[in-house]
Amino acid sequence: MKKTVVFLLGISAFAGILAFARPTPAQEQGKEELKLLLPKPMFIGTPRNINSPNLEKITGKPRGAIFVPAGTKLVSLNKPVTASDMQPVIGEVGFVTDGEKAGEDGYFVEFGPGKQHVQVDLKASQPLQAILVWHYHSQARVYRDVVVQVSDDKDFVSGVTTIFNNDHDNSSGLGIGKDKEYIETFEGKLFDPRGTKARFVRLWSNGNTSNDMNHYVEVEVYATPAK
Amino acid sequence: MNKKAFAGLFLLIVIGAAAFRLIDLGLRPMHHDEANQALKCGALLERGEYRYDKADHHGPSLYYLSLPFARVLEAGTLAALDEKTLRLVPACFGLGAIFLLLLLVPIIGKERVVWSALGLSVSPVMVYFSRFYIQETLLLFFLAGFIAALWRYHLNPSWGWAAAAGMFAGMMYATKETSVIAFGSIAAALLLTRLMTTKAREKKGTRWAHLFVGVACAVFVSLVLFTSFFQNPRGFFDSILSFRIYFVRAGETGFHVHPWSYYLQTLAFSKPGTGPVWSEALILILAVVGIAASFKLRPDKPERLFLIFVSFYAAISTGAYSLIPYKTPWNVLPFYLGFVLLAGNGATALLRASKSRAVRAAFCLLLAAGFLHLAAQARSAALVYPADPRNPYVYAQTSPGFLQLVQRVEDLAAIHPDRKKMFIKVIAGPYETWPLPWYLRRFGRVGYWTSIDEAGRPGAAAVIITDTEQAGRLESLLNSSFQSEYYELRPNVFLVLHVRGDLWDEYLKSRTGKVNER
Repeated sequence: MKKTVVFLLGISAFAGILAFARPTPAQEQGKEELKLLLPKPMFIGTPRNINSPNLEKITGKPRGAIFVPAGTKLVSLNKPVTASDMQPVIGEVGFVTDGEKAGEDGYFVEFGPGKQHVQVDLKASQPLQAILVWHYHSQARVYRDVVVQVSDDKDFVSGVTTIFNNDHDNSSGLGIGKDKEYIETFEGKLFDPRGTKARFVRLWSNGNTSNDMNHYVEVEVYATPAK
Repeated sequence: MNKKAFAGLFLLIVIGAAAFRLIDLGLRPMHHDEANQALKCGALLERGEYRYDKADHHGPSLYYLSLPFARVLEAGTLAALDEKTLRLVPACFGLGAIFLLLLLVPIIGKERVVWSALGLSVSPVMVYFSRFYIQETLLLFFLAGFIAALWRYHLNPSWGWAAAAGMFAGMMYATKETSVIAFGSIAAALLLTRLMTTKAREKKGTRWAHLFVGVACAVFVSLVLFTSFFQNPRGFFDSILSFRIYFVRAGETGFHVHPWSYYLQTLAFSKPGTGPVWSEALILILAVVGIAASFKLRPDKPERLFLIFVSFYAAISTGAYSLIPYKTPWNVLPFYLGFVLLAGNGATALLRASKSRAVRAAFCLLLAAGFLHLAAQARSAALVYPADPRNPYVYAQTSPGFLQLVQRVEDLAAIHPDRKKMFIKVIAGPYETWPLPWYLRRFGRVGYWTSIDEAGRPGAAAVIITDTEQAGRLESLLNSSFQSEYYELRPNVFLVLHVRGDLWDEYLKSRTGKVNER
């Protein structure tokens, strides 16, 4: 009995030491919290908490801090944007990187129905640390076939890295994606490029749960300076 | 206005009204209220089953009057019914309400009838809800008939008009419980009109035998329908007991509670979101002119009494509907009929105000432009924004995106070995379930539960449809072999479709020939 107690105490002490020794994200070497300026929420109540294996987890709580390598900064602000539909139904293509993230009317650009993309030219190839996207957040919506790709090739023919793809039925024809569908909120959707070096960011969508149109309030790309 | 000109104009108005009401009736996804009514109609059509439910669904007239349409269009079962067949019922009654205005020609004259008919035919709210499978347009039709028959009786007291008024009144009652608001408003308006015009009271006395015939017809018609043709005697008593339920509901707090100004504000000026401006101000302004003109008419003018009555009716019924906290946009129709009739008087009064031909021509052009603007809005409401929240009459409407869910389930059934007998579980609260039963009516094995606790494990279900609350509770029962997708039921309300992995893989194969892996 005595031996068992000593053994259990020993295990507990070891576990405790390990727990304290394991660095918390904030303490990860060379990382710092990414400071984000979020727009005000536009709707409450929906969505409800969801904890399904096949859908993005919804907890109803704030996303929490995002940690990125020191020196990471916003590199997409006011950078040139092109789109598959250069004549938007509402708004202007430039809204995508104008720094305005409010959910009200007048801050989003609406592109035509079906599969469409926008492309941000960061003007230099650099290690990308975070991509934040707000499609539309004045109402709970799910955008279909969200695919995020990065490349140094402006035509996305070679050297394309797919960061995210939730086109689970390949209806956009970019390959079946295993990522999960998610509901748009004021927090935007965070995509992790894991330091992939690229100059261009291309974002696809294929309508949404409300209608066939494609919307963007803002796209923010964070990167560390190229060495 | 001579007979030929009147006939030509009226015909043109009817053709326009028919186009607005009949084109592309299947365009809008079924509203959950429409789906509810459709299933009740289906039960009556298939099995002859109907029992009045005092707590919900309103009166029986909609279902019984849908039967001839279903039979003519050879839809003998619920599965064979479709949106177009069902919506043809209110569309025809909406059109019928315009025809009923012809009964007013001897009372107010051809010119006022033409302008009123034009207003009724192009009013966006009238057009929009004439394409909606609920009771409101039928109530409008029977109300128009009741008012017309009542005044035709007043002009020429006879058994026929007394019986007609009674029949229309009975049908109003058998259509919707809110008919009592119209009855109350009509009674109060009649009383006020008589108080103002004592001469009329001296001239015409009440004929009790005619009154008895009218009341007997009203009671008989409603008795026949509420008792399901005497199969359910309790139905008629339940229709009376239902007032307690609806009275309580009228004062309840919740989603349908709106400020007193909701109806008038929606009609006068709306601009939801990034959508266009919607306004029926023309009708409202013409109605105000019409009220003023009614009271200014010489006492010896035969139309004066009727127009004063309609002025009182419009004011009282609008006040009554506005004071009730529970509001839905389709409730506009019964009181707006008064505005449309008064607008007809207003337009006529404006055109008669000047003797100068040039001024009259200018007024005529202005009115034509105004009514064209209304017609353009009616077209937008019915055909461009039929399910878009930027249309002020779109209310708790099923999103067009919901039809993608229906299409997905249809596609999955097409490759499932059991086809339409594929087992589908729907686990959702009542507000998230409708209109699924309508859209899944052709599937043989669909089970409905309100919670995971009742529904149990997925079992043999190939497809599970849940609301987001139940989706969140599914994790312990569902594994990652199910593919899940979101679909919008209504703005800010989602359903989640879960498809069993093996069926999903087959589905992908059927789409592309092979499963594409990244």
